Amino acid sequence: MQTMLLWLVTVGALAVFARRFWLRLAPLSRARAANRTDQPMERLTGALADIGLHRRLLRFTWSGVLHFMIFTSFLVLSTAILQAFGSGLFPGFSLAVIGGDTWIALLQDIFALLMLIGLAMAAWQRFVRKPARFVGSKTGDATLIYLLAGGIVLTMLLEFATAIVMSGAPHAWRPVSTVLSHLLIGTGMTAQSASTAHLVFFWLHILIILTFLIYIPGSKHRHMMLAAFNLYFRPLTPKGQLPPPPTKLAEADTGTVETYQDFTWKDLLDTLSCTECGRCQSVCPAYAAGAPLSPKSLIMDLRDGLLTHEGVIDGDAHLPIIGGAISQETLWSCTTCRACMEVCPVHIEHVPKIVQLRRTMVEDGALEPMLQTAMTNFQSQGNSFGKPAKQRARWTKDLSFKPKDARNEPVDILWFVGDFASFDTRAQELTRMVAELLHKAGVDFGILYDGERNSGNDVRRVGDEGLFELLAQQNIDTLAGCTFNRIMTTDPHSLNALKSEYPALGANYDVMHYAQLLLDLIKAGKLTPRTDAGLTVTYHDPCYLGRYNGGFDAPRDLMAALGHTLKEMPRNRENSFCCGAGGGRIWMDDVVFKERPSENRIKEALELGEITHFVVSCPKDVVMYTAAIQNLGVGDRLAVRDLAELVTLSVA
Amino acid sequence: MTILVLIEHYQGGVADGSLELLTLARTLGGPVTALVLAGSMADVATLAAGLDADTVLAVAAPAVARYASSVYLRSLNAAIAACDPELVLLSYSTAGIDLAAGASVATGREMVAYVTSLTRHGAGFAACSQVYGGKLLATSTLPAQGIAVVMPGAVKAGPRSTGDAPVQTLTVDLGPDGCIRHLETLVPESGGIDLTKAARIVCVGRALGNTDKLPMAEALAKLLGAEIAGSRPVIDAGWLPKPRQIGKSGTKVKPKLYLMAGVSGAPEHLEGMGESELIIALNSDPRAPIFGKAHYGAVCDMFEVMPTLIQKLS
Amino acid sequence: MKIVVIQRLEPVLTEELELSDDGRDIDREWIGFALNQFDDQALEQAVLLKESNGATVTAIAIEDEGSDKMLKNALARGADAAFQIPLDADDVESRSSRALAPLYAAAIRTLAPDLVLVGILSNSDLYGELAPYLGAHTGWPQISAVTEVRLAAGKATVRQEYAGGRAARFEVDTPVIIGLQTAMQPPRYVAGSKLRDLLKVQIPELEVDGAPSADMSHGTTLALPDQSAGAVMFDGDADDIATSIHNLLKEKGFVQ
Ligand SMILES: Cc1cc2nc3c(=O)[nH]c(=O)nc-3n(C[C@H](O)[C@H](O)[C@H](O)COP(=O)(O)OP(=O)(O)OC[C@H]3O[C@@H](n4cnc5c(N)ncnc54)[C@H](O)[C@@H]3O)c2cc1C
Ligand code: SF4
Ligand code: SF4
Repeated sequence: MQTMLLWLVTVGALAVFARRFWLRLAPLSRARAANRTDQPMERLTGALADIGLHRRLLRFTWSGVLHFMIFTSFLVLSTAILQAFGSGLFPGFSLAVIGGDTWIALLQDIFALLMLIGLAMAAWQRFVRKPARFVGSKTGDATLIYLLAGGIVLTMLLEFATAIVMSGAPHAWRPVSTVLSHLLIGTGMTAQSASTAHLVFFWLHILIILTFLIYIPGSKHRHMMLAAFNLYFRPLTPKGQLPPPPTKLAEADTGTVETYQDFTWKDLLDTLSCTECGRCQSVCPAYAAGAPLSPKSLIMDLRDGLLTHEGVIDGDAHLPIIGGAISQETLWSCTTCRACMEVCPVHIEHVPKIVQLRRTMVEDGALEPMLQTAMTNFQSQGNSFGKPAKQRARWTKDLSFKPKDARNEPVDILWFVGDFASFDTRAQELTRMVAELLHKAGVDFGILYDGERNSGNDVRRVGDEGLFELLAQQNIDTLAGCTFNRIMTTDPHSLNALKSEYPALGANYDVMHYAQLLLDLIKAGKLTPRTDAGLTVTYHDPCYLGRYNGGFDAPRDLMAALGHTLKEMPRNRENSFCCGAGGGRIWMDDVVFKERPSENRIKEALELGEITHFVVSCPKDVVMYTAAIQNLGVGDRLAVRDLAELVTLSVA
Repeated sequence: MTILVLIEHYQGGVADGSLELLTLARTLGGPVTALVLAGSMADVATLAAGLDADTVLAVAAPAVARYASSVYLRSLNAAIAACDPELVLLSYSTAGIDLAAGASVATGREMVAYVTSLTRHGAGFAACSQVYGGKLLATSTLPAQGIAVVMPGAVKAGPRSTGDAPVQTLTVDLGPDGCIRHLETLVPESGGIDLTKAARIVCVGRALGNTDKLPMAEALAKLLGAEIAGSRPVIDAGWLPKPRQIGKSGTKVKPKLYLMAGVSGAPEHLEGMGESELIIALNSDPRAPIFGKAHYGAVCDMFEVMPTLIQKLS
Repeated sequence: MKIVVIQRLEPVLTEELELSDDGRDIDREWIGFALNQFDDQALEQAVLLKESNGATVTAIAIEDEGSDKMLKNALARGADAAFQIPLDADDVESRSSRALAPLYAAAIRTLAPDLVLVGILSNSDLYGELAPYLGAHTGWPQISAVTEVRLAAGKATVRQEYAGGRAARFEVDTPVIIGLQTAMQPPRYVAGSKLRDLLKVQIPELEVDGAPSADMSHGTTLALPDQSAGAVMFDGDADDIATSIHNLLKEKGFVQ
């Protein structure tokens, strides 16, 4: 009778669960394709390592530890679930043969306790510590989950404990349950009443588990099922390589995103896998600046929009997505700094979605006026400054020598100068310094003069794929006519394009940042710095050098080689805080930022005390931070220094 | 031989530019004919009163009561044919653009535009013009019987004449019904700030410090008939509203006068005002980059100079 | 309704200009060229009219370095056809609006549109602007400084602007030549994908029956305004400086 009943509720619950799950996964089958099945071993090992070691989760210590406790406990306790259902559905089933009453029992008892502690920590975190990253997450959902999970563990323990009371003797392998059984006896429980209680707790245990099961597909705890897949299907392309727009299915297909099916299945899977943990929100410079963008809300809004559109949840389904679920301002707020993607424990890809939606806006011509001016300049002159291409190399006029034209003679190092370094008057000075340093060190280098175009890195991130291709192809064609060994650039944005984006267009180069080159020259004795005039400095990792291309060490080693003492800001290396210029933001009106990220960053540096210089290694950073220091009026306390300046001062 | 000047008017008042042309014609010497187009002879008389001309050539017809390019062009061509002037002067205004080139083709005369100064030169005239957005000066020789379009403000209008010049009527075939028909006149709405239209701007930088000293800058602006503006830090601080920000992320302006105080001259700021015709900069730092761009500058404390200047101006 | 819109390349003036050796022209070697900003507006207005009234838009330009790229851009923006008017560079003494007007006018006669839109000003207007010249050469009515164009039943309604923000609205018969100042909406952004798709397109030539006319360029010399690097500095105490500034303002006519 009981078995029948259990079969009935279990099968019923499973059916409801499956349907609820399928309703949410079904749209994936109608979405665009994405190739995420290559390199299965790489995918598997990476995913397992991420799950097993909790690599990303542990960056947030408290949450990481508690998640680890809950996660491992869940794995262990699944044996108890197996035991409960197995014995109930198939009378005679028991794990005892493999130690269900001995070591497994012990583990279950211990991990039940761990689970409860983990849940308590989680609740403490959510209700008492309340980190800002939870703002916007669904508290009700989380609370219910704590209650259900706690209920499962408690009923399980009580089930074990009542069994012990029934047996009349302590269970050597179940210390926790045994203690609990003593408590129960203390309340006057007899073997007789324990047997009824046992039955009640068994059923309660079963019912809560099934409730949990039914509940999960509609909860952020879906990630229990989906996270592993999301990790497995993570992108394996270089971090700095955006996925291309979807291949057009038909001539009429615009390749833009109006509705949810226009995304790839992986994009939709991303939204369903989000845990609402808010880690991304906590590192997002746009969010911190008060812009209408939170990467977490973006993902949640896309998910809720998708589910509303599918009729799975109630609400008005607003299409198209842009202007419906997601506002234009939200999309333009992103600096594409990648901090969110770097920190997301389930490897959700925020930036590709933002860029894909931007592409749609660009296709419709919906650009804000300032951005439109810059983009039009790219179209007509190949740079954002609207300066004639012929004047790109004007900065060379005041040099003590004339750099080689790499289009006419072979060079060892081809210097891809980049827009800011070529045209901005402040950055030009640094460009000249680099040139003089290379000259002094006897480096055989050349530039492309008016043959260079903007690399297209940020054009691509603004969402103009066609313009990116035009610019990139022009550069690739020009480079194809040059003979060189390596490419060097001072501009991390160009570096990213040359190193990570152009390979997708079939052009592969050996690309290095000037920090590396200068360091090599010093090591090789070509430049001899004096090291007795060391400063105490801090250093800002540019997003496109550091997070995107792993260039963390060369700048630091270079400063050390010059005898400077580096005091790190709290947000450094992978966790560096974007200056706010990336992703085309430098060409947009920054009124959306209540506090400019660059100024927030300068304040972070000032908090360190004792430092006198804010060292940067990107021409855009020179501009951004000089302005930030001016704006804050702290020029007497802190000065921006580019690595090139440091080296120049030191070898002079 | 006379110099023919087209008189533009609006709501019964003669345009400043036209008065300047009469003065210019006088300076060049020789008889001056003023061409007045109006709805009736009475209107012509009102407009002609006090014009410093030797003759007033009048076209009076309802069709020319208000400006319209087609009927004005026919009238101008007819007037040129009637008095065969040695020089035709038009002001660089909408009418000047509409009419000069057309009249030049119709009457077979040479023309030069954007004139900032005009003198007699041999049998003709030497004209100096602004071209390439004011970045270059062009000197050209305009043969006699040419047409010149003169920039407003190139000469200062002289006093009005006391006597009235004799009026001659000119009958012009204004065409069937005119292919360009006036429907309504629109007057500007006041209100919103549009610095791009301001001819004079006083701009303050971060050195302002706070809003306490803002009235000082505003007083100076008022005395100069200028709009007040600020660099980005000034707008960020909320001392002035966003529409008053000059620069890359603000408004781009090209006023005749740009007086700036306490602005360092960052490229993003220069981007918004670098093409101003006259830039005067006050800054306490002799090495401030703005001195590389300004036409005139002074190393000083703006809070000392501004009050003194206000005193002198008031 | 057929609209012809004229597109002209112009030197980019963001940089310092230099003069050619004979002082009759700017040194074109270091300078970049871009679409005249008013022609940009004219193109936008033409496309807006196409969208609102179903007109066809033909963009024309005089053949020159970069003109085909400019016309492709016009196609990407919404023009239906584009033509380059061939011009043998050796034949032209001057590229002023006055000199080239007969060529454009001939093209207009060939294309026989109802409406011609062209930017009100260009850098080469020393001897007059293009729109009124086109009016004179075609004998069609012309109206410049226009900031609004609407079409209905063979007539256009336009708004013409005057000094001080004053304006008037006119009804004009077509065909008409309009010297446009601003379109009714800012020029739209055209995604790079559209430009990329046009990369291989050939812009056809339009042979016209006309020759450049003469202007006075042979009697004109260009000069850079006297702008010795850096500001003229006023010295002295606050009072001296204020006096100097006051005098300067008087001299330049800003104050009495
Ligand atoms: C993407 C981007 C966009 C930008 N857009 C704009 C923009 O649109 N507009 C803009 O203005 N800036 C813009 N900036 C900021 C720009 O880089 C500068 O930071 C800003 O212009 C500096 O403003 P300032 O000259 O008022 O302040 P500061 O540079 O701090 O200059 C103050 C000046 O006042 C002088 N001074 C101090 N006391 C006195 C005194 N008593 N009397 C006289 N002089 C005194 C000082 O010597 C100094 O030169 C932008 C920056 C970026 C990165
Ligand atoms: S890329 Fe940077 S700015 Fe954009 S959403 Fe992520 S964290 Fe925010
Ligand atoms: S996107 Fe990733 S980091 Fe952001 S809330 Fe979701 S799971 Fe957390």
